[in-house]
Amino acid sequence: MARPDSEIFVGGSKPAQQWRVRQPYGPKLILGLLFAAVLLALSARHTQIDKMLVMTAEWAAQIVGLRPSSEVGKGAKRFADTAFPLVFHEEAPVSRIEKFDRNNLPWLSHLETRTVESARYDFDRNEMVADFEKQEFLVKPVGYLVYVCEKMIETLEMALWATLLSIVISLPLAYFGARNYSPNRFTYSASRLTSSFLRAMPELVAALFLVLMYGFGPIAGVLALGLHCAGFFGKFYADDIENAERGPQEALIATGAGKLAVLRYAVIPQVLPQYIAYTQYILERNVRMATVIGVVGAGGIGIELKGRFDMFDFGHVSTILLVIFLTVLGLERISQWLRKRIIR
Amino acid sequence: MLNFNQCGKTFADGTVALRDVSLEVPRGQFCVLLGPSGAGKTTLLRAVNGLTSLTTGDVELDGVALNRHTLGKIRRRVAMVHQQFNLVGRLNVMENVLSGSLGDVPAWRALTGLFDSRLRRKVCGLLQDVGLAESHVYKRASELSGGQQQRVAIARAFIMEPVLVLADEPVASLDMSISATILELLRDASAKRNTTVLCTLHQVELARQFADRVIGMRDGTVVYDGPPSGLCGEALDLIYDKRAEVEISSRRTAVDVLAPNAIAV
Ligand SMILES: Nc1ncnc2c1ncn2[C@@H]1O[C@H](COP(=O)(O)OP(=O)(O)OP(=O)(O)O)[C@@H](O)[C@H]1O
Ligand SMILES: [Mg+2]
Repeated sequence: MARPDSEIFVGGSKPAQQWRVRQPYGPKLILGLLFAAVLLALSARHTQIDKMLVMTAEWAAQIVGLRPSSEVGKGAKRFADTAFPLVFHEEAPVSRIEKFDRNNLPWLSHLETRTVESARYDFDRNEMVADFEKQEFLVKPVGYLVYVCEKMIETLEMALWATLLSIVISLPLAYFGARNYSPNRFTYSASRLTSSFLRAMPELVAALFLVLMYGFGPIAGVLALGLHCAGFFGKFYADDIENAERGPQEALIATGAGKLAVLRYAVIPQVLPQYIAYTQYILERNVRMATVIGVVGAGGIGIELKGRFDMFDFGHVSTILLVIFLTVLGLERISQWLRKRIIR
Repeated sequence: MLNFNQCGKTFADGTVALRDVSLEVPRGQFCVLLGPSGAGKTTLLRAVNGLTSLTTGDVELDGVALNRHTLGKIRRRVAMVHQQFNLVGRLNVMENVLSGSLGDVPAWRALTGLFDSRLRRKVCGLLQDVGLAESHVYKRASELSGGQQQRVAIARAFIMEPVLVLADEPVASLDMSISATILELLRDASAKRNTTVLCTLHQVELARQFADRVIGMRDGTVVYDGPPSGLCGEALDLIYDKRAEVEISSRRTAVDVLAPNAIAV
């Protein structure tokens, strides 16, 4: 039986045809977007986005054969021409090796005798003459690769210690930076501020100063990375403590448990999976950062990379890049696997 | 003995949760608090162990008034069971029950987790009493059913031999069929140790079945105080019925009208 329309509506509400509906976007949003577009256009000039587009287009044109050459292409070619083959070997004339012991050669190496040509000016004949001389070389076919791997391991160790250091520093920062555990507002603000400050300080800049203070080498790198990440952990850990489920904590408070005991039994178990996830992320990040922090002399493989790059030894550079790349990929795999095991 | 002396609570936002509540609960009594939502039952319970601080009046346990200095001591003698169980999901059953003793064990044991092995034995006994099996002991709390979780929570409440158990809607998140079992466990465990229980409930039926004494609350005042057998028509209207609202607000202390001298059982 059909009912009159009015009966369907519940007490006094309007018919659906008269309900107010909203448009998904109005003039305000459109004006806002236009304004944003103008700002972006201005900033594009500053950052040479236009030039980037032109250069990239020229390069693309060169690749498809429309142009004989391009600036980007030239730069890339300079690297590519000497980047291959990768350099794995290392050799040195025996005469230049100190305390060379013929009967006890290093692992994976052999001696080679070569005739070396050198130019000499002959004063009698008044011209350059070629001199031939037999010279003995110690050749290590994978010597350079081994060296790079050693440097990479040093880099990994730096990342590991930086992460450990940051955890140790961040534990008090997290405790005092969690509003519900910090003893008072002063300790709260102080540790939140410290965390922000540590986070805000770029590692490379910190590393520059730390190299001044601690000298070249891994100490500066470990400290720079460790301090920066302590800021991250300090914030994330503290936020997690604040957001942990309240019920279980209250249940333990009601038994008369102390603050630390409540933290240990009702908070840490809850937040542990996130903590492990952050820590893993930071560890991976530290590995990547540790590879470049050497550029300012703070230890690790970066020093070698910078040195070789500056000398245009692109074959060596490629080897270093390959090792970094494989390590980072491998670590990511391992950490994914670990994560599945640890976090249940 | 538990005494509420003219307890009043006004929250920071101006909500008045308790108005001048005075009660006396003798040792060993199973006392059920009934009342509509917002009546102040939870507030009253939480005032006992200081989770909520009173605006006026005080609470005394065996003659000791709750204040800053006695807080720790009183909390160690008073256990609590919650509607949401409030177990730590990622800890196993053993650890959850042990965590009930954190107020009593030395700090180094608490922080290292090296609890006395006698205490672990005791946990097993308690778990058996609440109907759990050996296979549950090292399961994570989050892997248990609601009923099983509340059993664990009851075991946790009794590990320190409390003189008083506060149970805030211990069966509200549970199925009706399991509710009676859980309340039975609570009653038996407390009867065995002569422990006082202060328990809020929403089902009048369950109150009738388990309570030694029922306290009806409404709008922060006690409107009924008597045996469960008295929970009929008029009393229920006073506690729950909409029609009684006008009457109560005009005569704030309706309890004086109905039960001038609170009947203890
Ligand atoms: N933290 C708080 N801040 C402000 N008001 C609160 C707070 N806790 C409770 N209240 C108010 O105090 C009054 C009593 O709350 P209480 O939780 O004690 O009621 P209840 O009887 O336990 O209700 P329910 O049966 O729903 O659990 C309510 O009006 C509530 O809104
Ligand atoms: Mg409540």
